[in-house]
Order: sequence, then structure tokens, then C-alpha cells
Amino acid sequence: MVTRDLVLAALFAAIIIVLGLLPSIMLGFIPVPITAQSLGVMLAGVVLGAKRGMIAVLLVLLIAAIGMPVLSGGRGGLAVFAAPTTGYLIGWVAAAFVTGFLCERLVNREQAGLVQGVSFFIAALIGGVVVLYAFGITYLALVTGMGLSKAFLGSLAFIPGDVLKAVVAALAGRAVMAGYPLLPQRA
Amino acid sequence: MRTLYVQGDSLLHRLSPRLKLLLLAGASVALFVVSSLPLLGIMAVCSAGLYAMLGLSLRDSWQRLRPILLTIVIVALFTLLVDTPVQAATVLLRLTSLMLLAAAITATTGIGAFIDEITWLALPLERLGLMKASDIGLSVGLVIRFVPEVLLRYISIRDAHYARGLKPRPLTLAVPMIILTLRSADEIAAAIDARGLRGQK
Repeated sequence: MVTRDLVLAALFAAIIIVLGLLPSIMLGFIPVPITAQSLGVMLAGVVLGAKRGMIAVLLVLLIAAIGMPVLSGGRGGLAVFAAPTTGYLIGWVAAAFVTGFLCERLVNREQAGLVQGVSFFIAALIGGVVVLYAFGITYLALVTGMGLSKAFLGSLAFIPGDVLKAVVAALAGRAVMAGYPLLPQRA
Repeated sequence: MRTLYVQGDSLLHRLSPRLKLLLLAGASVALFVVSSLPLLGIMAVCSAGLYAMLGLSLRDSWQRLRPILLTIVIVALFTLLVDTPVQAATVLLRLTSLMLLAAAITATTGIGAFIDEITWLALPLERLGLMKASDIGLSVGLVIRFVPEVLLRYISIRDAHYARGLKPRPLTLAVPMIILTLRSADEIAAAIDARGLRGQK
């Protein structure tokens, strides 16, 4: 891995951490608060692609694990991996990878803006919502023994917020591609 | 950013990080194999005892554990709603014990010791040619170094919105923050290579 890719991943990890420092917001039509940190995970894939995006997310989780309170709400330490929602953290790694993998294949600079935006959205939706929730719900069901369908029911309230984030990630992905393109990966 | 490490000289501080992590892994397996409530209760009391040995004040502990404890309690309540009370109590005891043990290790192991341990764990991967183990420490250092800078950038972009009478929106905040931050990657990479921090090849 060339130094530039390592630095890009590290810088994006810092961006994900900063997004986690912002206060979570309540939207009227969604019953749970939404944080910007998981938006950062989608953005990592959308902006950096599969490999570098996944490394950025791994760095955030590593820094949380060794005892810095870098996850949203000031969470950190090994204890965050003992929560029933740990599956979502593990899923972040896969989410960034899948989002990035799809972006690298679906999007290129010659496409029209609308095509790019829709492709980014599909990639963020599959990676950042479908894959993420597959990990999160499976883990929740295993840890609590409540079964998949009930775990799904318990997670349902968070899905609208994450779909909304996929829209923001797609628009941001398009803007970044116009301003400072990093996809398709050069390394 | 303050780390969650606490200075001290307890038994846990003196144990080697490798042993502590192995014990934690062993304890987490044990907690998920055991399903009898009294036994889980004993394990939870032991974990709490171990955590209490650190000598943290109640307020400090509450600050540290509140967010995770809250998730555990919510999920336990949800389990109570859809499942049996026994299952809910099992979830509560199991995860609370694990959380206390993990938090105790975090509080007694410094970041440097963790990085050394992770670098050591990554050595086999280095031999396979998949990565450079020393890159882990380097990139963790980079991230910690750049968080304040990115935060400052976020604040100045937000203030620029206010100065122009615009309402800060997620999109108009995130895009300039990402582009401005990533644009410095070339300079930083050149600086790292110029200092030979990743070894000369």
C-alpha cells in the first residue's frame, strides 16, 4: 500500500470521528435520534472505494478499542464491543467495503450526473443499510436469543434515518467526485 | 481527546496486556457457554468486584459506562417484552459482566501497550506480505493527530455559513470538509516518505 493511500484512510478515519462528535439530531417523522457517524461510514466507501474505505473504518474501531472515546456519544474502550449492538460496529467494516466495491464498479467520471448520483445511492443503500443491518440484526439475535424476526422488529425504527443518510452520502459522493475525484482507485 | 486509561498500580495494571486480553477472550466464551442464572449472577458479581478494584469513583464509572449500560438495559427490556423474563435476565447479566471486564482492561492498559500488542499480532500478516505491522501504529498516530484539525475545519466551515446568513446543512458542511481534508493527503504522504518513517525500499 502506498503512503498516500494510508494517509487518505487515516484522514478519513479522523473525519468519521469528527462526525461522531456532532450532536445527534431528532427528525420529526423518525422516532429515534440519528447520528452523523454512520453517514461517515457510507461516505468512506463512496469517496475512497472499497480498500481504503474499509481501512478508514477499521482504524476508527481500533482507536475506539484501545481506549479513546471516539464513537458517537463519547463511547470507547473494549466495553463498546460488549454491547448488544456490537454487530453494527462489526458491520461498519463490511458496509464501507461493499459500498466502496459497488461504487468502484458502478460509477465513473464520464457518466451523467444523475446516473452517478443514483449509482452512489444504490451502493450506499446496499452497503450501508442492507449489509450493515444483516450484521447488526444477526448479532443482536444471537446475543439475546430473541430470534431474527424480533431483532429485525427492534431495529426497524433506525432504518428510515439510514436510508436518508444514503441519500446524503450519494449527493456528497457526487460533489466530491466533481471536486476531488479519488475513484476509481489509482493504486 | 482524553483516553479512558487510568493511572494506577492495581493487580490489573501490573498484568501483561497479552494475558489480560487472553483472559478477557476466555471470560467472554465462558459467559456465553454458561446459561444458568445463579452462575451468571456469581460471574457478574465477580466482574463488578474486579472493576471496583480499580478504585474509580461512582460518578466517574457512571460517566464511562452509561452509554453502553443504557443499550444493554434497553435490549434487556425489549427481550422481556418479546421473550421470557429468564432470557431477559440472562442477557442483562451476561452483557453487563462482559462490559465491566472489558472496561476494567481498558482502564488499566495504556494506548502504547495496546499498539505494541496489535503490532505483534499483525506480524504473521507481515510475513505473508499482506501489510506492514508498523503501519498500524503510524496510522493510529496520524488519526489522533488530525482529529483536532478536522474538527477545527468543520467549525470554520460552519462559521462561514453563519457569516453568509446560510443555514448549515449536512451536505454543504460535509463536502468542503472532506475535500479540504483529503487534499492535504499528498503533502502528508510526501512528508512521511521524506522522513523514511515507513522504511526505505
